[in-house]
Amino acid sequence: MAHQVSVFVENKPGRLEKVTGALGQAGINIRAMTLNSSSGGWGVLNLLVNHPAAAKDALSAAGFLTALHEIVVVEMTDQPGGLHEVVSLLARAGLNVENAYGTVLQNGRSAILVINVEKVAHAREILAAAGVRTLEDDAIYAI
Amino acid sequence: MNSYWQPDIETAAPDTLRAMQLQALRRTLAQAAQSPYYGELFRRLNFSPEQIRTRDDLRRLPFTTKDDLRGHFPYGFLAVPKAETIRLHCSSGTTGNPTVIFHNRHDLDSWANLVARSMYCAGARPDDVFQNICGYGLFTGGLGFQYGAERLGALTIPAGAGNSRRQIKLMQEFGTTVIHAIPSYLPRLREVFTELGLAPAKDTRLRVILSGAEPYTEETRRRLEAMFAPAKVFNSFGLTEMNGPGVAFECDCQNGLHVWEDAYLTEIVNPDTLEPVPDGELGELVFTSLDRQAMPILRYRTRDLTRFLTGPCPCGRTHRRLDRITGRSDDMFIIKGCNVFPMQIEQVLMRIPQAASDYLIVLETLGDNDELILQVEAHPEWFNGDFSKLEHVRQRIVREIHDEVLVTPIVQLVEPGSLPRAEGKAKRVDDRRRNGKTDF
Ligand SMILES: [Zn+2]
Repeated sequence: MAHQVSVFVENKPGRLEKVTGALGQAGINIRAMTLNSSSGGWGVLNLLVNHPAAAKDALSAAGFLTALHEIVVVEMTDQPGGLHEVVSLLARAGLNVENAYGTVLQNGRSAILVINVEKVAHAREILAAAGVRTLEDDAIYAI
Repeated sequence: MNSYWQPDIETAAPDTLRAMQLQALRRTLAQAAQSPYYGELFRRLNFSPEQIRTRDDLRRLPFTTKDDLRGHFPYGFLAVPKAETIRLHCSSGTTGNPTVIFHNRHDLDSWANLVARSMYCAGARPDDVFQNICGYGLFTGGLGFQYGAERLGALTIPAGAGNSRRQIKLMQEFGTTVIHAIPSYLPRLREVFTELGLAPAKDTRLRVILSGAEPYTEETRRRLEAMFAPAKVFNSFGLTEMNGPGVAFECDCQNGLHVWEDAYLTEIVNPDTLEPVPDGELGELVFTSLDRQAMPILRYRTRDLTRFLTGPCPCGRTHRRLDRITGRSDDMFIIKGCNVFPMQIEQVLMRIPQAASDYLIVLETLGDNDELILQVEAHPEWFNGDFSKLEHVRQRIVREIHDEVLVTPIVQLVEPGSLPRAEGKAKRVDDRRRNGKTDF
């Protein structure tokens, strides 16, 4: 299973820095991050890190509202249409894809597709049946 | 089969009730004229009690406020010779003069009857055993219920406040069936039952709980009833300036409090314009005592907010019903032409599952408009990492606040623990507007 660490943050100066600071102090490496921003003055920061559980603890201790969120991660290939293909597989199975984003890992060579989808286990079975390989936590951080 | 303490009065036809009120009002005004304060006021306004033709004529007189009572401490409102008075009660005040209310024998007699009527209305009967679990002394809940329960004919245990183990022992030894306690004490009492390995349902004969003196919500009532099942909780309302308990009380239907209109003339006014609000609309309660001799008080502004509930009550009582108290008018603010009470906002938040109780209302001028900004601390229960789940909560708050106060708020979710907390009580409204600040 793969997890991202989701953090509730207010849109105000210094909050992002406080997140990265707390993780740095706990010795955690951030592989990728994205921010979903609401018009209500807040957002949810999604982090791919090397130790999700430890990251959650460190952020909770720093006073952040934090959750481990299960995700489906697919390593991107060079084939065109890769993103579309994966998302349509899930949509055809009636699974609601909350959002999906491609992100380039910090090594700059590999790209992954992170999919926020309901019923993660079911989603992984569907992808596996279609021959799409999903990555576990270890594999993502080892890239 | 409905039964009443005073069927003629409690089920009087509305016209009869109004005629009774008018007669009592004339008597009260004549009595009030005997006091230094109202005597002087009537002279200044060139007003004489005979000029009153309808209840509405009372509106020619100004309101009486707590400051007026304090400003004429201690005897300015006394309308009988001091020697005729037999008791006083004070309402708590932390600064300045206290508010003191004097009673003569008639007043105490009338008050005891109103409390007996109230208790009967909530289901207490002469063969009940009544335990009064609240402070005696200057606080009116002690002696007020004591005399009322005695008038009712119940066996009365003047237990006083505190010492929960002893309260439970008394309840067991004497088979207490009715208690009176403030709502915030009841959960503590229930805890002690558990500590003792006891449960109200099997170890007591408790069936009626009278509770008031602090505002509490319908949700709280249901929670208390679950704790003390099968006993039912009934809402009690009163204030020292209007004697104390026994001003308005819930009946078996638990759908609002019948205000005893033969003893209190009740107005609900817009706290801003001081004009009467239509039935069903929220406003400030104003009372005129109709059966008090030593210290009649006219058009007393309670600062308590509620509304008249419309329609007849299935219990058959014709005295109008008040909704439970939903806040204090001192807290009201005006935004986009609407009167808003922080309590309305709080009630909306209470409806959202796991609502964080921490919020701040910020009134701010953005561009040319004043905006109602509601900052709510995000609750851990709302957050499983999903952005959309939080956004749904936020949109639901926007929608429900709009439905309640008719102003579309800007709702901002903020991090837990980030809102300022004042000593003890959280600060709820921060008015940063350029113009049109309202007083709190
Ligand atoms: Zn009723």
